[in-house]
Amino acid sequence: MTTVKADPVPAALAEPAPARRRGTPYRLASSSWTVPVMVFLGFFFVIPLGANLWRSVATGDALVHGPFAFYAKLLGDAYYAGILAETLKVGVIATLASLVVGYPVAYFMVRYAGRWNGLIVFLLIAPLLTSIIMRTFGWRVLLARKGPVTLLLHDWGLIARPTNLADDPIAVYVALVHVLVPFMVLSIVAVLQQVDVRLEESSRVLGAGPLATFFRITLPLSLDGVATGCILVFVVTNGSFLTMLLLGGGKVTTLSLLIYQQFNVAQDTGFAAAMGNLLLFMALICLALQARFLRREGVKA
Amino acid sequence: MSTPSLTAMPPRRRRRPNWAALALGAYVVAFLGFIVAPIAAVVLVSFSSASFITFPIPGYTLRWYWRIIEYRPFLDAMLVSIEVALASTVLAAALGVPAALALARSRGVPAALVSNFLLAPITVPAIVLGLALLYFLASLSFGLSFTALLIAHTVAGIPYVTRTVLAVYRSLPPDLEEASAVLGATRWQTFRYTTLPLVRPGVFAGGLFAVLTSLDNLPLSFFFGSASTSTLPVVMLSYMENQFDPSIAAVSTVQMLVAIVALVVTDRVYGIEKLTAA
Repeated sequence: MTTVKADPVPAALAEPAPARRRGTPYRLASSSWTVPVMVFLGFFFVIPLGANLWRSVATGDALVHGPFAFYAKLLGDAYYAGILAETLKVGVIATLASLVVGYPVAYFMVRYAGRWNGLIVFLLIAPLLTSIIMRTFGWRVLLARKGPVTLLLHDWGLIARPTNLADDPIAVYVALVHVLVPFMVLSIVAVLQQVDVRLEESSRVLGAGPLATFFRITLPLSLDGVATGCILVFVVTNGSFLTMLLLGGGKVTTLSLLIYQQFNVAQDTGFAAAMGNLLLFMALICLALQARFLRREGVKA
Repeated sequence: MSTPSLTAMPPRRRRRPNWAALALGAYVVAFLGFIVAPIAAVVLVSFSSASFITFPIPGYTLRWYWRIIEYRPFLDAMLVSIEVALASTVLAAALGVPAALALARSRGVPAALVSNFLLAPITVPAIVLGLALLYFLASLSFGLSFTALLIAHTVAGIPYVTRTVLAVYRSLPPDLEEASAVLGATRWQTFRYTTLPLVRPGVFAGGLFAVLTSLDNLPLSFFFGSASTSTLPVVMLSYMENQFDPSIAAVSTVQMLVAIVALVVTDRVYGIEKLTAA
């Protein structure tokens, strides 16, 4: 390849720049450089997930009661169906709460923050430097029976007597929103930055109120960022179990937490594999949705 | 932003304070308090002299930091965590960077498919990946070993390194490497002295993400936890299930400091803005 590249040099002397541009650009790396990582991921990513799929349809009960025995149990049994419903419920509530909490912040960052923007971005990203255990533990501290939030709520008369709010299901949602809202804010900011402020001003000049302007101009134009953020938050919520394990007093059980518990208590490999595949399936659906959104955006552009 | 308009509009909206913006600003301040509160609470509690959670803090002590040193599993696990994070990131870079260099200059469907494939591990919930890998590696009879832990974290780290190097290398013109080749450098010399220095910010940014993710990847690590291969989050979780004292707060604070030091060092070497650009 080097020799082929060396050939145009005399031509380049005669007519420098354009001659070189027309040829294919120099390539250092040939496609064979992708082989090691493909082999590695093939062996330690594709095969294990494939084996997991196989295990869920061809081991234990699946051999006795037909290949989809585990899945039928997951979807048919009232207890497991309830956990699936709980998983979806937690995902939807956490996503909507992150959206409602995060949108105004994103809007402020794009329209008003100015020189404070850097500080806000820093404070949004800084929690990523702390472990998820630290953040969850932090909520246990704040919401403890003698924690600051509990005492404050008691002082304001919002709760009758101090109790351990960390074991209340609300703690799960608070902690989930805390972990996820930065992703939502940054997703929305990325899109909102491209919305021309003059469109909002025109709307106001033409007589629309601030709320009408927001709901009919700003929000529709930022919908791509909202969708990206929502899907991201939903997927991450589905995959997390630590928040539900350490907060909520065991009252919020989702699919991820169930996998964790099943693995620690009962070692039913086939059933655990089936649950994992169901979780993976949900993540893939969300990704497909996201790909659709992105493609639509591409068509517009 | 207000551009100087041709029709010379009077400076409207300057007079009265913008109440909506002020209210929004107050909300954002409260929101940032919400973001910082649990982290600040943990740091505060790590110095509390009480062995249970109570406010206001009755007194201050460093004994929970002593506990980290006394309670061997914390220290051991911290070392395992750092070893796994660094080793898996180096391995992920060794595998991912050459592939990213090849893919960045490739066009067409196969290259796009391969790129997506390399990013795929990020989309699989870690708990599913961990479960699948444990069963698979156990069937090869090294399920609970440092090697297994390393493999799992490398799979999870490849997308981060690949993604940033792809982005950085795509934005570079091929001219410099071409010049290097024309001037007689071998392919290795071109890689070593031209390409690698150019993509190094991407490698470091992706590597930093991979390290930070690895340090905190409980759902992936807990499957491979044996006495000698438990990472810090795994040990912290099992500690918390048995007792609830501020030593967890002290460990968390130390872990946060380690991450901050890693970030500051990377910033000193390459600049934070390059990290967020990719």
